[in-house]
Amino acid sequence: MHNFEYREPDTLEEVLALLGELGEEAKIVAGGTALVIMLNQRLLVPSHLISLRKLRDIDQIESSDGTLQLGALATLRAVETSPLVKEQSPVLAETYAQVATLRIRNMATVGGSLAHADPNQDPPVTLMALDARVGLASANGSREVALDEFFIDYYETVVRPDELVTRVMVPRAAPHTGSAYLKFLPRTSEDYATVGVAARVSLEPDSGVCQDCRLVLGGVGATPLRARDAEDLLKGQKSTPELLEAVAAAARQLTDPVGDSRGSAQYKRAMTGVFVGRAIDQAWERALA
Amino acid sequence: MTYTVVGKPLGQVEGPAKVTGAATFTADVILPEMIWGKVLRSPLPHARIVSIDTKAAEQMPGVLAVLTARDLPDTLTGRVVYDTPVLARDQVRFIGEKVAVVAAEDPDVAEDALALIEVEYQELPAVFDAEEAMKPDAPLLHPDYRSYPHAPEKFFSELPNVHSHVTWQVGDIEEGFAQAQQVFEYTFTTHSQHQGFIEPHASVVSVDSEGRAHLWISNKMPVRAQKLLADAVELPQEQVVVHPVCIGGDFGGKGSLMDAPLCYHLSKRTGRPVKMVMTYTEELMAGNPRHPATISLRTGVTDQGKVVAFQARVVFDSGAYAGFKPVPIVNIPGANSAAGVYGTPHVKIDAYSVYTNCVPSGHVRAPGDPQVTFAVESSMELIAEAMGIDPLEFRKRNLVQDGDLLPDGHRLEHVRIRQTLEAAIESSNWGKPKAHPHVGRGVAASYRHIGAGEANAEIRLESDGTVKVITPVPDTGTGAHTVLQQVVAETWPLPVEQVQVEARPELFETDSGAGASRVTYVVGQLVKEMTEELRASVCRVAATALECQAEEVVFEDGHCTVKGSSDRTLTLAQVAEAGSGKPELSIRKTQVNRDNPQVTTFTAQVVELEVDPETGQIKILEVVTSHDVGTIINPIGHRGQIDGGLVQGIGFGMIEEVVMEEGQVSTLHLGDYKLPNIKDIPPLKTVLVQEEIGPAPFQSKAIGESSITPIAAAIANAVYDAVGVRFYNLPITAEKVYRALRERDSNGE
Amino acid sequence: MASEKTMTRTIRLRVNGKEHSLDVPSRRLLVDCLRYDLGLTGTKEGCSVGVCGACTVLMDGQPISSCLALAVFADGKEIVTVEGIAREGKLDRVQQSFIDHGGFQCGSCTPGMVVTARALLDANPNPSQDEIKEWMLGNLCRCTGYYQIIESIQGAAGEASDA
Repeated sequence: MHNFEYREPDTLEEVLALLGELGEEAKIVAGGTALVIMLNQRLLVPSHLISLRKLRDIDQIESSDGTLQLGALATLRAVETSPLVKEQSPVLAETYAQVATLRIRNMATVGGSLAHADPNQDPPVTLMALDARVGLASANGSREVALDEFFIDYYETVVRPDELVTRVMVPRAAPHTGSAYLKFLPRTSEDYATVGVAARVSLEPDSGVCQDCRLVLGGVGATPLRARDAEDLLKGQKSTPELLEAVAAAARQLTDPVGDSRGSAQYKRAMTGVFVGRAIDQAWERALA
Repeated sequence: MTYTVVGKPLGQVEGPAKVTGAATFTADVILPEMIWGKVLRSPLPHARIVSIDTKAAEQMPGVLAVLTARDLPDTLTGRVVYDTPVLARDQVRFIGEKVAVVAAEDPDVAEDALALIEVEYQELPAVFDAEEAMKPDAPLLHPDYRSYPHAPEKFFSELPNVHSHVTWQVGDIEEGFAQAQQVFEYTFTTHSQHQGFIEPHASVVSVDSEGRAHLWISNKMPVRAQKLLADAVELPQEQVVVHPVCIGGDFGGKGSLMDAPLCYHLSKRTGRPVKMVMTYTEELMAGNPRHPATISLRTGVTDQGKVVAFQARVVFDSGAYAGFKPVPIVNIPGANSAAGVYGTPHVKIDAYSVYTNCVPSGHVRAPGDPQVTFAVESSMELIAEAMGIDPLEFRKRNLVQDGDLLPDGHRLEHVRIRQTLEAAIESSNWGKPKAHPHVGRGVAASYRHIGAGEANAEIRLESDGTVKVITPVPDTGTGAHTVLQQVVAETWPLPVEQVQVEARPELFETDSGAGASRVTYVVGQLVKEMTEELRASVCRVAATALECQAEEVVFEDGHCTVKGSSDRTLTLAQVAEAGSGKPELSIRKTQVNRDNPQVTTFTAQVVELEVDPETGQIKILEVVTSHDVGTIINPIGHRGQIDGGLVQGIGFGMIEEVVMEEGQVSTLHLGDYKLPNIKDIPPLKTVLVQEEIGPAPFQSKAIGESSITPIAAAIANAVYDAVGVRFYNLPITAEKVYRALRERDSNGE
Repeated sequence: MASEKTMTRTIRLRVNGKEHSLDVPSRRLLVDCLRYDLGLTGTKEGCSVGVCGACTVLMDGQPISSCLALAVFADGKEIVTVEGIAREGKLDRVQQSFIDHGGFQCGSCTPGMVVTARALLDANPNPSQDEIKEWMLGNLCRCTGYYQIIESIQGAAGEASDA
């Protein structure tokens, strides 16, 4: 790879000041698992790397008022194994556990994974289905963005050149809610998903009808896709095979997959429909449990 | 028969070195003042090189040399036919062909410099399909191929781009089809598979002050590499000194020079040792993967279900060069097992090896076998179904027997295919009710001859009383050195700890090296004989020291003792001292086995799997692999060959593919070219049909290239059993199954 | 102004219990730093994209891909490579078990396997077969077919390591 200046600030303020100063000449690095590959392939040639590795204040996993707060520098492994996450949002722990390999998860971070915006990733799909919000900070202040407004395109987000992802907030689920994330791996058991689907359903306890739901599709577009039309079909309804067919069809309509070694575009589209049905079934079952 | 050391599950002699990281692989070689080479590769599949401007690259700080073909002698290289330039001279013939090379103080600087080299190309028409390349109007990739050194004259063809056409025959094929009442024709295609070794190719060359080239190379026939490098760079063979290294997996793919000639030229130019390590991307775009093949079968059968005629046309895509093929026919001999485990009286197999503008192909474990076995074992099932005969029964009616002549020219002895097949069936769930719909079972069988070749060894008594075997054969992971250690220890007999094995390729002038399922047989046999000779020689030396006749000395309990006089005895260390300096305590021999033994090894496998009809995904529920074996010298190593080959075969059948489009490989790293992992392995039952019959030491056989072969066919047959779709190409992916199911459903079948 | 000097960093790291202070280019990968700056060639580079696991080392006790880590990431950290698994020349239980059960053939994946398996047994001394497979998922082997690797790890489980 080309050479660069490596800066390792001790505080968030210093990071933000540097970001403000260097802007697009610099790339942030935390876990490095995605960035180093891109540097090796010379897809990126920044003059500076600003490392977050010495920061101590944004790696915590906490809960406040039932909202799960994931610090941006929490590793994927920390989220996967966190007793707090397993208790408050088991589907999130399950999702992080399916990312790549143990080695990657020991280094890659919550914030880095979001900022990298590779649409084939698992965590953004589930996070979006859980109505996650992203906290951003810059030298000029901070803001929050809903995750379903966070991704713009392949490797492109709303994060400005002088901004940093500092945390991810996951609200507490309503009662009678069940969630599932299904990752379709037809080749080997370690791979990016051919398709990934996250479903969340909240049921009306007396009628058993779907009160609210979220359906997010991964690996079939330039970003994770929130299938709103499909969600609308489910709301106020009970699950039937015919309804699920319609929901699957609506979800498929939304997809714009790219063919690759994990499947052709047509196959990914077709599998989206299959896994939408399966994810909703599993979420529904969990909501009833 | 029970043995003392043979049959014991001994850990590899290289064990402690490997588990501590002390074992030295080529990329681990670090020499003082060592520098790094990186190569620039062609982005085009077929083009004339108009100009190369290296000035800017040469001027980069830290760059010590930049070479193109004009800086090198005009030589061609290859394992048999020399058709491959060291650097492309006037034209490039595949995407990835080497065009220029840079040496620099560190690999990053070398890489920086590559970006500064400017090459102007003029594109030429390209051809990416072997069948297309054989047509009259195809561009000719090697118009002068007949003049290449060691080109296979006997197998030249008039067809365009065909550099080798080999025919194997039994009986009279016309007569065979005349006897047939029904004729069936099917065509199958198979794809490119990379060996997938974890260690990419690497080489280090250091030219010393006398002009000798010291070579470290990940190559399993280092003595041959010595000769090939000498020819490639125009040095006398004695001026190349090969140093031993551990090889990080071969699977047929590590027999060529790869970057070694470039390391040599860079070392000569700079006066520094040069290391080049291929990245895995380079392996996937310019390694030497398995030959893609088109296999057309025509089978003549009597109404009673007897196969009387079998004709195969096998077309191998050799890619841009044929230099990766190590057999003198410059073709893939595995094609001659296209007639399968059957004793068909009339057979004709034509194999064509064809140039295309694709990645040059090479040998991958059991070269040719998985391809043609997929074809013949699928074909037999199709024929059985068409004729209304149970497929197992159909096979049994046609199995090869003792005395039958195989297309490869061998008349077989001790044929045990029936027992091997029946053992697989019995150990599986064949015939039992299926637990779920969409569960299927498939069977397939194959055979593999035991390898031939040249063996060389030296065996001597060391001063400390240990016996040392010196071999040119490197350790590629198969446990070959451990087997040799056990052979010597058993034969002498000595405790295993008293026998050492050392690889010293630089001490030998010719050798076949490792591979082709030959080492236990070819080298083991030779070493066993030499052990007995050395022991006799040692006893003679002892006799002199003990002042008696040679016949009076026996070797017993670790000592050379005068019969009946237990006090007149010497330890081996004492004999070594007594005979110090005497040539009798060291023996060196060569043996050439030109022919494969008449005994083959058979493999039969049953695969049970389940198909998810909504996605096409296949889950293998169980594999039974049945092998006809002789004595097993080392059960750990033996099992390792079966297990590893099997998983590699599953990769070939279902998972792996070097995907090429218009000559461009798109699977350029292990994130795209997926190798099976530890969660992907199916429950496995191994059945050993054992009989103490085998041509190798202690009646052993070969096992290295057996389990990889039939499994793709067994999977295809099981998928058909599960969901009624038949595959004529590989790999059988979930998407292909899904599409086939949708098509079947829309056709209303 | 970027220069050789500004693009070089001094790092302090502990490798297999020994302290090192090194000047490395910012772009230096940890795998290359271990192999060439420190001469610890036990760690191998296979795929260069973090998939095969041949480059696995422990950083503060956790398995990581050293081919995806910059050397500067190791500043202030404790690294364990395969060379640090045996203690005072005595093989660790995991290492001996790999020898006894045929957990390797060519040995290229073995350093990564041994380091990862050691970390597994430190975290979970008696793993089930499924737990072994989950943990070892990212360590590829082309030679063994994995069956004997699983048995090697099971063979080393059940008691505390010899360290």
